[in-house]
Amino acid sequence: MAGRNESAAGWIGSESQVSRLRGTVFKATCLGATLLALVLMLVFLLYVVNDALQPRTADVGWLATYGVTIGLPALALAGYYYRRDTRAGEVAYTSLGLPIAATVLAGGITILFRHLISPQEWFALVVACAVAIGIIELHGTVHSAGVIDRLAVVTVVPLLAVVGIPGISVDHTFNTLFLEQELFRIAFSTPELAPSLREVILSSPVLPTDPHALLLAFTVPVAGAGSLYVRRVRESDRDAALVGVGAVLAAGSGLVLAPLAGLSSTAWIVLATVVAVPVGLYVELVVRRGDGVSGLAFPVVVGLGALLGTVAVGAAGFAGPDTWLTWEFLNNPHSRTPRDAGIYPALVGSVLMLVVVAVAAFPVGVGAAIYLEEYAPNQGRLGTIVELIEINIANLAGVPSVVYGVLGLALFVRTVGMRTGIVLVGGLTIGLLILPIVIVSAQEAIRAVPDSLREASYGMGATKWQTTRNVVLPRAIPGIMTGTILAFGRAIGETAPLLMIGAAAVVRLPPESFMGKFSAMPRQIFTWSTEIEYEFRYGVLAAGVLTLLVVLLMMNASAIVVRNKYQRES
Amino acid sequence: MNDDSIHADLTGSATGRIAKERLYHWLLFGCAAVTVFVTVSIVLTLAADAITFFEDVELFSFLTGTEWESRRGEYGVLPLVNATLTVTLISAVVAIPIGTAAAVYLSEYASDRMRSILKPALEILAGIPTVVYGYLALVYLTPWLRATGLELNLFNLLSASIMVGILIVPMVSSLSEDAMSAVPDELRQAGYGLGATKYEVSTGIVIPAAVSGIFSSYILALSRAIGETMIVVMAAGAQARMFDTANPFAHLFQSGQTMTAAMVHAVTSDAVGGTPEFYSMFAIGLTLFFITFAMNLLSNRIATRYREEYQ
Repeated sequence: MAGRNESAAGWIGSESQVSRLRGTVFKATCLGATLLALVLMLVFLLYVVNDALQPRTADVGWLATYGVTIGLPALALAGYYYRRDTRAGEVAYTSLGLPIAATVLAGGITILFRHLISPQEWFALVVACAVAIGIIELHGTVHSAGVIDRLAVVTVVPLLAVVGIPGISVDHTFNTLFLEQELFRIAFSTPELAPSLREVILSSPVLPTDPHALLLAFTVPVAGAGSLYVRRVRESDRDAALVGVGAVLAAGSGLVLAPLAGLSSTAWIVLATVVAVPVGLYVELVVRRGDGVSGLAFPVVVGLGALLGTVAVGAAGFAGPDTWLTWEFLNNPHSRTPRDAGIYPALVGSVLMLVVVAVAAFPVGVGAAIYLEEYAPNQGRLGTIVELIEINIANLAGVPSVVYGVLGLALFVRTVGMRTGIVLVGGLTIGLLILPIVIVSAQEAIRAVPDSLREASYGMGATKWQTTRNVVLPRAIPGIMTGTILAFGRAIGETAPLLMIGAAAVVRLPPESFMGKFSAMPRQIFTWSTEIEYEFRYGVLAAGVLTLLVVLLMMNASAIVVRNKYQRES
Repeated sequence: MNDDSIHADLTGSATGRIAKERLYHWLLFGCAAVTVFVTVSIVLTLAADAITFFEDVELFSFLTGTEWESRRGEYGVLPLVNATLTVTLISAVVAIPIGTAAAVYLSEYASDRMRSILKPALEILAGIPTVVYGYLALVYLTPWLRATGLELNLFNLLSASIMVGILIVPMVSSLSEDAMSAVPDELRQAGYGLGATKYEVSTGIVIPAAVSGIFSSYILALSRAIGETMIVVMAAGAQARMFDTANPFAHLFQSGQTMTAAMVHAVTSDAVGGTPEFYSMFAIGLTLFFITFAMNLLSNRIATRYREEYQ
């Protein structure tokens, strides 16, 4: 109170000069503090980049050439966008970042097709699922009233399509209750009763080759989803068909063109599907909107500059830098000699682990969020339980990650009996870790859907589940996706739980299934940090950190872009 | 799609629809209940193995022992607690002023454009994995601090603590900024109306009005610092050391082992399942869980109380 009286006096009296100075100093201090943390980290990161890429080992001519072909035009354009056209600036960084982020994603998907599921297996799985969905839909239209047979169809058909009826194998000894004396023992096993549709397709003699299988089972569904999206947004069948056919053609041309470009056709198809479709959609969106179109020039200028620079450097014979982060680094396993060391098995481990995390945490997290926001009662005994669950979730988000590691060790390894250090245990442990984050962010997204929409849906006689599925979820999906991507970023970077569940310090062979021993990128980085050799500490380690940071930056940036777009719309 | 499902359900039987609604209801409830299962299993599994540990090591000597030396069978937790407290204290000294000042700037002073740059930048800082922070502390910060003339060990508590401080800055700043932004504008306008300057409004009105939210952000950040693992494992080494009263700053320059680091050490060293060192990890983990859980609970309590003030 006294302070406020003094300030009032200051306003009336002659101390305003001092007060203004004080205010300015305070503002500058606050700004300085904000920048201090950011600048400090920026300096650190510049050091990392410098150590990983070693730009100073390059010829001066090499640096100058690229500076002129990429640096100058990019700077000039950026300056122009900043001064004249902020909207175009936004378009510029999105259209430059989108292909890069999509390429990272394509890399992840390629790893999956290489190590987890071959294109032909994927093809069989997709066809089997499509047939199952078809049968269920057909049954729904032919005979929609029956509840029991509907339930039977919905559960049995997918099972038959994907799993088949496995053989039964029983080996159980019945004991007397307390004395544990053996009464009798049942032991028999049957061969597999019925193979699944998936296996039937896989064993059929006329299976498409890998590229064709990918084209049919990966590109076509993605293109279909893209064209459905376009049809919903644009309400134009012609545009939708154009998008779908265009995407399939872009990927399909790889069958002919990929060898010419020096790529394998599978790599081309994955790249074209994952990169070309979103980029095409985005470019089209910007052009149609007509706002900030000049931003599209940015990636073109950078790309052309890179091409021109490469040609010029090749012609002049300038030597490039002696970087640690090379294609070999991404494709080699760990080695005792720093120059040969690479991160590939750890990269595969991280990708496979992320699949487990996604499957484990996403449905449960979103389900829990739906329950808490849409279904949970406010009062009564259940209301108290719900309140406890909410408090519990908020607190779980703050439990140290190392404790989750111990939990994973105790629960999955020591209680359930899985092997230590396999992908499944790592993924489940980290899935538990990010579960509270997924739930909280999904809750926020669901809460942001206006209540009037729900009321309208109820007013038309929809049930709670119909309202949730048809009204709430479609609106909340962008928000849920943002939170989930951020949570996955957290999952990729977590190290302590992996140490606790015994992820291998070094793996030479990438894991081929969820049951394989694995190492993940952060785990590998930690291993390298314990090496004393200078070249490991300042070379390989920096390259590994930079790889991890690039992946994370792409994930976080795409989440932020999705969120900004979504916020602007709503 | 929409029309189809509504059509189908209107002609479908009512019992089927109700059964389906029930099914979804309980399925979703099950998802929410998983989180309780997580908490319960953390407590149960940790407690079960911690009990095994306390069969070998007396609880009293665990809590009051001043030596943590698994090779000699000494399991006194105090050196670990000492290192954890040191890290927490120094990181708080680093993070609280910087984080609060950043929050004031973002909430009171920053233009929209500035905020649209600084906030995502801070978010990206928060998204950098801790193993990277640990690497930065080990490979860059320690040599830099050495270059200033401090006689630091290769592994030392000081640079690890500073790094933990930098790590929790975004947490303090974003939560505090939320609290400050939630202060109703009328209070600010009233301040201006009385002739207060922006500085006086910020320090005299906004910060006191948001103090509970700011305080709860401190507690959350500190609980994060207590549980931080990778930075201390990588940069602070694995030597459990007691606080030296004769020379209080000396132990900052030397390696130290926090509670979290001891847990990691228990699994990554040669300790096989079954030795007390292996089981010690569960005892420490349980302690850590309760400390952080209590801190989070406290922080939430404070934040909720504050929320009620204005709504």
